[in-house]
Amino acid sequence: MIKGKIRMIAGVAVIVLAVGYLIETAIRSTAEYYLTVGEVRARAAELGGSDLRVAGRVVSDTVSWDPRSLTLRFLLEPTPAAAGQAPASGAAAGARLSVVCRGQPKPDMFAAGRDVIVEGRLVDGSKIEARQVLTSCPSKYVPAQEAKK
Amino acid sequence: MVALGRLSLALALVLALYSAAANFYGARRREEGFIASGRHAIWAMAAMVSVAMAVLWGGLFTHDFSLAYVASYSSSSLPPVYQVTALWGGQEGSLLFWSWLLSLFTVLVALQNRGRNPEVAPYALGVLGLLAAFFFGMLNFVTPPFALLSSAPAEGADLNPLLQNYWMAIHPPSLYTGYVSASVPFAFACGALITGRLDDGWIRSTRRWAVFSWFFLTLGNLFGARWAYEVLGWGGYWAWDPVENAALMPWLVMTAYLHSVMIQERKDMLKVWNLALVGLAFALTLFGTFVTRSGIISSVHSFTESGLGPYFLTFLLAVVGAYTALVAWRFRMLRGPAQLESYLSREAAFLFNNLVLVGIAFAVFWGTLFPVLSEAVRGVKITVGPPFFDKVNGPLALALMLLMGAGPLIAWRRTTMRALARTCLSPAGAGVATGLAAALAGLRSWYVLAGFSLSAFALGSVFEEFRKGVGARRHMVAEPPARALVSLVAKNNRRYGGYLVHVGVALAFIGIIASSFFRTEVKRSVGVGQSFAVGPYRLKYLGLDESETIHLERAAARVEVMRGGRTIAALRPAKLFYRRPEQPATEVAIRSTLAADLYVVLAGVDDRSGLATFQVFLTPLVSWLWLGGLVMALGTVVAMWPNVRERAAIAAGLRPLRFEETGTATVAADG
Repeated sequence: MIKGKIRMIAGVAVIVLAVGYLIETAIRSTAEYYLTVGEVRARAAELGGSDLRVAGRVVSDTVSWDPRSLTLRFLLEPTPAAAGQAPASGAAAGARLSVVCRGQPKPDMFAAGRDVIVEGRLVDGSKIEARQVLTSCPSKYVPAQEAKK
Repeated sequence: MVALGRLSLALALVLALYSAAANFYGARRREEGFIASGRHAIWAMAAMVSVAMAVLWGGLFTHDFSLAYVASYSSSSLPPVYQVTALWGGQEGSLLFWSWLLSLFTVLVALQNRGRNPEVAPYALGVLGLLAAFFFGMLNFVTPPFALLSSAPAEGADLNPLLQNYWMAIHPPSLYTGYVSASVPFAFACGALITGRLDDGWIRSTRRWAVFSWFFLTLGNLFGARWAYEVLGWGGYWAWDPVENAALMPWLVMTAYLHSVMIQERKDMLKVWNLALVGLAFALTLFGTFVTRSGIISSVHSFTESGLGPYFLTFLLAVVGAYTALVAWRFRMLRGPAQLESYLSREAAFLFNNLVLVGIAFAVFWGTLFPVLSEAVRGVKITVGPPFFDKVNGPLALALMLLMGAGPLIAWRRTTMRALARTCLSPAGAGVATGLAAALAGLRSWYVLAGFSLSAFALGSVFEEFRKGVGARRHMVAEPPARALVSLVAKNNRRYGGYLVHVGVALAFIGIIASSFFRTEVKRSVGVGQSFAVGPYRLKYLGLDESETIHLERAAARVEVMRGGRTIAALRPAKLFYRRPEQPATEVAIRSTLAADLYVVLAGVDDRSGLATFQVFLTPLVSWLWLGGLVMALGTVVAMWPNVRERAAIAAGLRPLRFEETGTATVAADG
C-alpha cells in the first residue's frame, strides 16, 4: 500500500523534474532580448554580440536590395508608439539602427514605412547582422484610401 | 435586417440566462417542469443565434457595406465561397460563429440526454447556458457584429488575401468545433461535482464528445499547418507562433485526458487528475482566444487587437476559480487509491504518458508567455523562439513515442520483465533494425536515429496487437484473415481505432523528424534560360507569364524540373499582387511525392535586371505528416463509430429514468 504510493510519487517526481530541467536549460541557451530600437541604442554596450529581436519601422528611402547576392540593407527607426513611450533622453530620440540581411529573399510585405521585427546580432553598437526580417501581417487591413488620408 | 440581427442576439442572451437559471433551479428542486422549460429555452436560443448568423451571411452575400463587418471583411468581387467564410474572417463574426456552435452543441446535448442522466444533465445544460450567456454578452455589448457605418462605402476592404485559401476556409471552423465541443465534457464535470455523482458516469456520457473535440482539434491544427505550408512560402509548416501554440495546448491536454479516463474507468484512480485535465483543456480554449485577441503577446500573425482581452481574462479567471473551488469542495469524495502496483504496468505507462503530454503543454505555455513573464519579473522582454520549443519538446516527444509503443504491450496492474520482453520482442526488433538501417544509410544524429527507431517500435507494437487479435479470433471462429480483421475492429472499435491513431502519430512523427533535420534550401537569382541544381534536381527558369484580373495581378515563372537529364515536372511558382488591399502574396509551387517535396517559391523579380529570385526547399518525407494526419483522423472515426455492444449496454443500463426511481440511488451514494 505505502510502497505503491511511494512508487507513484517517485515516478511523478522524476518526470516533473526532467521537464523542469529541460525548460530551464532550453531557456538559458535560446533566450533572446526583445527590444525596441531606442532600447538597443541606449544599452548597446552590454548587448554587443548577443542575439536580439528588435521591433522597429523601416525608414523611407533607405532600402537597398541586391537580388544577385540577396542582400537587403535598410535603416530601422523606432515605431511612433514606442518612441512616445521611450524616455526622452535625447540620445534615444532619432536613434536608428542599420540592418543588413544577407542570403534571404526580400519578404513579400517588406516596404519602406512598414513595421518589422529584425532577428539577428548587434555588431558595433548601431549595426545589426540580421538572420531574418519578419513583417507583421495583421488579419485586418486599413483600406488604402483611408491610410492615405 | 440589421434590427432583426440585433434583436435576435439580445433575445439569445436573455434565453441563455433563463435556460441556465431554469435548469439549475429545476435540478435543485427536482422540478421536471423547470428543466423542460430550460430545454425549450435552449431550442429558442439556438434558433435566435441561427437567425443572427443568417442576417450576417445575408449582409455578406448582398454586399451591404453599411454594415461595418461586411465592409471590413468582404468586397463585391470576393468569390462566393469566401463570402461564406468571411463570416469568421473577423473578430465579431468569429465570436458569433463560436456562440452558434455552442448553441447547436447545447441542443445536441439536451436531445441526447432527454430522459438520461436526470441529475447531472440539467446542471451541465445550465453550465453550457452560462457559457453561452458570456459570449452573447460580448456580442451584445463589446463586439457587436451588426454595427453600422455612418456612411456606407462604395466598396468593402475585402478579406485578407492570405485567408482566401481553401485550407483557411476549413481551418477555423475545425478548430472552433474542437474548442467549443471541449465545453461539453467540462460542463458535465461541473454537473458531476455539483451533484456529487462522481463515479465515471459523467465521463462515459461525454466520452464521445471528448473524442469528437479531439478529432476536430487534430484536424484544425493539421489544416492550419497545411495552410502555413502552402501559403506562407517559407517551406515550413509550424513556427511555434503564439497563435499556433494556443491551438496546440488544448490538443495536448485533451490527448492526455482521453488516455487517463481509461485508468479511471478500469481502476477508479486519478479522479481529481481527470477533472483537472478536463478543466484545463476547457480553460486553454478560452486562453487561446484571449492570447490571440488581446495583443498581450506579440505574434507575427497577430490578430486585431481589441478591448476583448480584459473580459476574456476575467471570464477565464472566474471559470478557473469556480471550478477549482468545486473540486476542492468535493475533494474528500474524490480521493482514490493513488498508487502504482508496478512501474511495469499499463497504468504506469498511461500515467507517464499523461505527465509527458502535460509537460509538453506546460513547456509550450511557458515559452509562449515567457516575454510577458520576464518583463513582469525582470523588467526586460525576453523571447524564446522555435529553438526553445524544439530543444524542450524533442526529448519529450521521444519519450512519448517510447510510451506510445510500450503502452499497448504492457498488461494492466503488473507484468514481469520476462513477459514484457516476450511481447516486446518483435516491435523492439523492428525498432532496432530501423535504427541500424538508418545508421548504415549514413545518418549520424542520435536524435534522428532514436526518432526513427522509436517510431518503428510504435508501429511494430500496433502491428503486434492486430496480429494477436486476428490470431485469437481465427482460433475461436474459423474466419479468413481479412474477415477476422474486420470483425475484430468492428467488435472493439474503440481500442483498434485508438491503435490506428497511434499509427498516424508515428507516421506524422517520422515526417516531422525528417523534414526538420534534412530540409535543404537553395536561394538563387537567375536570368531567363539559366538553371541551377537543388539536390538531385536541376531547375531551369524558362520565363515569366504576366496576367491580371480585376482582383489581382499575377506574375508566374515557368520552371522546368529535370532529373538525370529527363524533364519530370513543370512548375509555376507565382507572385501575386492584390489590388484591394494593396498587398503582394506568394503562390508556392510544390511537387510532392512520398519521398520528398520540391517546394519552389518565386521570391521576387527585379524590374531592372530581369533576374528572378527563387527560394527552393527540398524536404524529405514531409508528406508523411499529412498522411499520418489522415490516418489519425480515420482512426478517430473508427473509435467514435457507434458500437453495437456499447449501444446495447447503454439501452439496458440507462433506460429513461425519472427522479422517483433515482432518488434511492442518490441516498445510497451520499450515505
